[in-house]
Amino acid sequence: MVVLAASVLSKSGKVLVSRQFVDMTRIRIEGLLAAFPKLVGTGKQHTYVETENVRYVYQPIEALYLLLVTNKQSNILEDLETLRLLSKLVPEYCYSLDEEGICKTAFELIFAFDEVICLGHKENVTVAQVKQYCEMESHEEKLHKLIDKNKGDKGGFMSMGSGRIESSFSDMSISSSGSGFGSSSGLGLTADVDSFSTKSKGRQLSSATAPPKGLGMQLGKSQKTNQFLESLKAEGELIVEDVQPRAGQARVAAAAPTDPITLTAEEKLNVTLKRDGGISNFDVQGTLSLQILNQEDALIQVQTETGGNPGILFKTHPNMNKELFSNENILGLKDPNRPFPTGSAGDAAGVGLLKWRMQSADESMVPLTINCWPSVSGNETYVSIEYEASAMFDLRNVVISVPLPALREAPNVRQIDGEWRYDSRNSVLEWSILLIDNSNRSGSMEFVVPPADSSVFFPISVRFSATSTYSDLKVVNIIPLRGGGAPPPKFSQRTNLITENYQVV
Amino acid sequence: MEKSCTLLIHFDKGTPAIANEIKEALEGNDVSAKVDAMKKAIMLLLNGETLPQLFITIVRYVLPSEDHTFQKLLLLYLEIIEKTDAKGRVLPEMILICQNLRNNLQHPNEYIRGVTLRFLCRLNETEIIEPLIPSVLQNLEHRHPFIRRNAILAVMSIYKLPQGDQLLVDAPDMIEKVLSTEQDPSAKRNAFLMLFTCAQERATNYLLTHVDRVSEWGELLQMVVLELIRKVCRTNRGEKAKYIKIIIALLNSPSTAVIYECAGTLVSLSSAPSAIKAAANTYCQLLLSQSDNNVKLIVLDRLNELKSSHRDVMVDLIMDVLRALSSPNLDIQRKTLDIVLELITPRNINEVVLLLKKEVVKTQTGELEKNGEYRQMLIQAIHSCAIKFPEVASTVVHLLMDFLGDSNVASAIDVVVFVREIIETNPKLRVSIITRLLDTFYQIRAARVCSCALWIIGEYCLSLSEVESAIATIKQCLGDLPFYSASEEGEATDASKKTPQASSITISSRRPAVLADGTYATQSAASETAFSPPTIVQGSLASGNLRSLLLTGDFFLGAVVACTLTKLVLRLEEVQPSKVEVNKATTQTLLILVSMLQLGQSHVLPHPIDNDSYDRIVLCMRLLCNTSDEIRKIWLQSCRQSFVKMLSEKQLRETEELKAKAQVSHAQPDDLIDFYHLKSRKGMSQLELEDEVQDDLKRATGEFVKDADDANKLNRILQLTGFSDPVYAEAYVTVHHYDIVLDVTVINRTKETLQNLCLELATMGDLKLVDRPQNYTLAPESSKQIKANIKVSSTETGVIFGNIVYETSNVLERTVVVLNDIHIDIMDYISPAVCSDTAFRTMWAEFEWENKVAVNTVIQDEKEFLNHIIKSINMKCLTAPSALDGECGFLAANLYAKSVFGEDALVNLSIEKQADGKLSGYIRIRSKTQGIALSLGDKITLKQKGGS
Repeated sequence: MVVLAASVLSKSGKVLVSRQFVDMTRIRIEGLLAAFPKLVGTGKQHTYVETENVRYVYQPIEALYLLLVTNKQSNILEDLETLRLLSKLVPEYCYSLDEEGICKTAFELIFAFDEVICLGHKENVTVAQVKQYCEMESHEEKLHKLIDKNKGDKGGFMSMGSGRIESSFSDMSISSSGSGFGSSSGLGLTADVDSFSTKSKGRQLSSATAPPKGLGMQLGKSQKTNQFLESLKAEGELIVEDVQPRAGQARVAAAAPTDPITLTAEEKLNVTLKRDGGISNFDVQGTLSLQILNQEDALIQVQTETGGNPGILFKTHPNMNKELFSNENILGLKDPNRPFPTGSAGDAAGVGLLKWRMQSADESMVPLTINCWPSVSGNETYVSIEYEASAMFDLRNVVISVPLPALREAPNVRQIDGEWRYDSRNSVLEWSILLIDNSNRSGSMEFVVPPADSSVFFPISVRFSATSTYSDLKVVNIIPLRGGGAPPPKFSQRTNLITENYQVV
Repeated sequence: MEKSCTLLIHFDKGTPAIANEIKEALEGNDVSAKVDAMKKAIMLLLNGETLPQLFITIVRYVLPSEDHTFQKLLLLYLEIIEKTDAKGRVLPEMILICQNLRNNLQHPNEYIRGVTLRFLCRLNETEIIEPLIPSVLQNLEHRHPFIRRNAILAVMSIYKLPQGDQLLVDAPDMIEKVLSTEQDPSAKRNAFLMLFTCAQERATNYLLTHVDRVSEWGELLQMVVLELIRKVCRTNRGEKAKYIKIIIALLNSPSTAVIYECAGTLVSLSSAPSAIKAAANTYCQLLLSQSDNNVKLIVLDRLNELKSSHRDVMVDLIMDVLRALSSPNLDIQRKTLDIVLELITPRNINEVVLLLKKEVVKTQTGELEKNGEYRQMLIQAIHSCAIKFPEVASTVVHLLMDFLGDSNVASAIDVVVFVREIIETNPKLRVSIITRLLDTFYQIRAARVCSCALWIIGEYCLSLSEVESAIATIKQCLGDLPFYSASEEGEATDASKKTPQASSITISSRRPAVLADGTYATQSAASETAFSPPTIVQGSLASGNLRSLLLTGDFFLGAVVACTLTKLVLRLEEVQPSKVEVNKATTQTLLILVSMLQLGQSHVLPHPIDNDSYDRIVLCMRLLCNTSDEIRKIWLQSCRQSFVKMLSEKQLRETEELKAKAQVSHAQPDDLIDFYHLKSRKGMSQLELEDEVQDDLKRATGEFVKDADDANKLNRILQLTGFSDPVYAEAYVTVHHYDIVLDVTVINRTKETLQNLCLELATMGDLKLVDRPQNYTLAPESSKQIKANIKVSSTETGVIFGNIVYETSNVLERTVVVLNDIHIDIMDYISPAVCSDTAFRTMWAEFEWENKVAVNTVIQDEKEFLNHIIKSINMKCLTAPSALDGECGFLAANLYAKSVFGEDALVNLSIEKQADGKLSGYIRIRSKTQGIALSLGDKITLKQKGGS
């Protein structure tokens, strides 16, 4: 499915313009093009020629040939479509369809060909779009220039400057409607509209979380297809109907453990805060998991120490010796002769030993509270946000995402502790603070957007992580069950607090 | 690795632009003059100039320009300039453009960004790309789809560069993310394409997670999906089970391009009958629904492939394929019939023939100008059907006999040949055919058809009634005797054009015939013109057809009539009990013969009767007067026997061909066998894993070169200078299709350093030097390989000659060593080919250039000489071996070959053995262009001597 080259030749076989879309040597392309006039027959009612290696698809235009060179497996239907488009483009750019005319506009033709075929693949464009692309009229550039000019004028004659802007604005609207809504079907604008509409579509789709797709449709089309599938199966063709994608290897593998034994204590936070204070939900779920690399080290017990938080209830794995844990805080299997399962490096989770859970309505337990104050003044909305972190944790990589109304440009941020970033595709303002510790337990930010309802800015979602946990569970020691006096094997311990769902609604 | 070429523009050498002028214009202020100058600079570059001095000017004056056209031209300029030095390192000044490119990538104008990103796709130098990567990545999330589209492609091509995966480690990750959120169909396609080429695993994952949506995706994306499926399944057969469902879903796509692709994919994935059937059905639908001839022809090609690999499935679809006959295009109709004819089985033959008959009838009513040719094709098709399945002959033969009087001579000939064969092979049909033939005989217009029909009548009229009616029919067609009256002779002689008319007025009571055109008036048995494209025979049905033909001077036909009548009379003697009747018939026949001879010797006709015909008519007369049993046997039986022999020989040849086809070995005993299951293991090179699609593409771009025979390679080394010259040079010449590569090894044999050593080449004939080799400095006694490419555009003997020029350090004058000439052999360009007899004759009549070479050889045997010529000029003998049998001292044969440029070369060899045992005669070469005729002639003159 590859177009090797698009060329314009004169009837006598002179190559006027040729644009190649894949790597090929000059001698090769010249050879191919030189062979073409000899191959094209007269009186034929079809317009393609095949040789041993390539296929030429051509169209005579007055005294010229417009020619596509493709490989032989190329899709003829698509190539003809491309050829048709190109044949419409050539007269658009050449005033006279003869050698001279083509030579004069050779570069324009090349630019136009480039828009139609990309790396040998056809683009879905129309003549008008190609023209628009080649004209390179850009609103954004004009805006940009205006802004530049504005900056230059700043401090000087404001009134004059604004007057000039107004006049140039009106110029622009005239010119844009001239080229846009006039005869040539307003592409400059429709393209923009398109991108907006697709954007909103995209959002709808994502919020609707992909509704179970076309069950009815499947039934509808089934009859024939199913018969077909059945007969294929009957003929011994293997068909897998429900295909599960392989577990994505996209998951970023956690740094592979290098120590023989790794213990990970992880707590996940599910918190929903009300926008005017108070907690509607606060839930911590913790797990302690064990990962052992080698079989030899698997006969062990784990000595732990808990922080003694009374609100936390620990639950051991059914295979664990419950009494041993409740009496001595030692985690060991019920059957002391059984080793712990050993996991390979690929399985990052390891074996769960212990689970715990904590719920609370106590506001003091919340690690980070967010206050958001939108206020409308004039035709602008000022939003100030502040956070307050409890002294319990040092929070890392804090990102506070505030949804904004759909904006053309980034919001005007007046003041900020930390950094901000505007994601224009999802229209979200992200406020990130690398680390919150004793030096910055509270911080604030203020930005201005065009007037909007205050509910637009919610729900604010927060992400962060911390290295200490609510439970304060620690592994003190590893007790080997075998090997007598051998020193306890080395182990590493990871403690992690992360947010799973932390929102201000 | 040779540099790739991205654009070609015709450059008029008449107005050379000088670098200085361009420089001035670029430095000036006039925008349009600057643009022109920039264009000129690019054209000069394309033309092989290097213009190093312009670079700085461009950097200084063009780079900062705001004008969009300028920026685009600049990108083209950057695309084609040499960016590396001789050792492959990036030139230091290229850093200057990096900044500009980066600005462009952050330009507020989205189109500037887009075209710059597109330019990056064509860039190979990682050193230039590296600093630009962050800007490229930023553009992945730009609001404007035009930019995102190109940014994705840029990422893809950067990632594909030799060390690209290190430049952009997480590119697949990023693109996967982009793909999941992207809405623009084109950008989505590009993203998928990127995953497909760079991280196939992810692409398949994405595809499988969105399996239900595939049918809603854009056409472009669906095409890539199909390509992916094909690729995955080729490398890993086991996977295909997962994908068949997707293909089936896509078969219902509204886009025909996708459907076409689907069918192709389905065939490549599965050989299950249902799958093949579905694919074939799809093709058939496309065949009917698409009005474009190109599409139809290519779809027919696909069906043809299916036919050869899955005949049993295609047999069921024969009627669907036949529906393509409704197209008025002859090429399509021919291809369709070709496919169908090989799919005929006893089960579907009746249906097929019924439809063909219908089509034949349709051609009678239609007004299309190509109807004649189409009818001929149909008749040939029916003919071959009838030979395969004789039982259908009875159903078609009568219908076809309606066309004996067809105004299209070629199709009428086909019909009569068909009838001749059927009447011999199907004895049951004889009576009905003869009756029919006698009924329709008067309609036959063309002389060749007439003579063939007369032969049939002469051979196959057996019973008394048949013989009698045959004689009556012929007599009727000849009209009243004599053919002309002597009294009018005087008047009739003046103008040849008028004569026939005048004579027919006087001799015939009927209306004078409008006679055939000049072609036929001069026709004789050996004339070539009879084979020119069929001419329309005019003529009225009112006067006897034989009579009007005879009056145009066709005495060959006269001889045939004479023989037929003689045969019929001889047979009448056997079947007619009454002696009186026989004698009556004999005398009547004799009268006819005599009148023909009289006509032949009169001055009414422009040409008198030829000797051959005269002899035969006289022979017939003698025979009728004085018959013997032996002669009778020859006339009544041997003739038929030799016809039977001819038919059986033809059949034998066909079966032999079939056998030979069946015996073509698909694999040699010592071929490697590929096991798919072992293929992915290590130990196999990447090359072996590469699949046919890539091969296809590589062949197309010329990357794929077959390894030639190494032993052969050594034969082609040419010594260019002498051993005692200060510079020794030898060349190894490789001839590819359209180009010749000279690999010249130059050795400095002196103790001095040779400076500015340059290989200067010039060509004669249809050769063109592509680029001038560079200058080199050669250290004492060192050697250097220099490559030169030469383009060939037609088959012709070419000569390359040249010198080596160099300077030495102490003497400041240039020394020249003249090289041996390199002759390019025409034999590298032509290869034996086959064409039909008629095609050969048509071309022979058409081609303008003829080269006649007198035979001059020491070879004494005709056939040995023929073989010698065939071998030395690499052509195919078209004359059947049976025709060359026997020892008669004469030999005539046609040879044919085709050049790689698609030119035809025709050779005719006519030799005779002289009394002294020597061979004499001529070899004629005809071709459309002078080159072939001349060079082949030279070749033959050179080689024909033989003897060694």
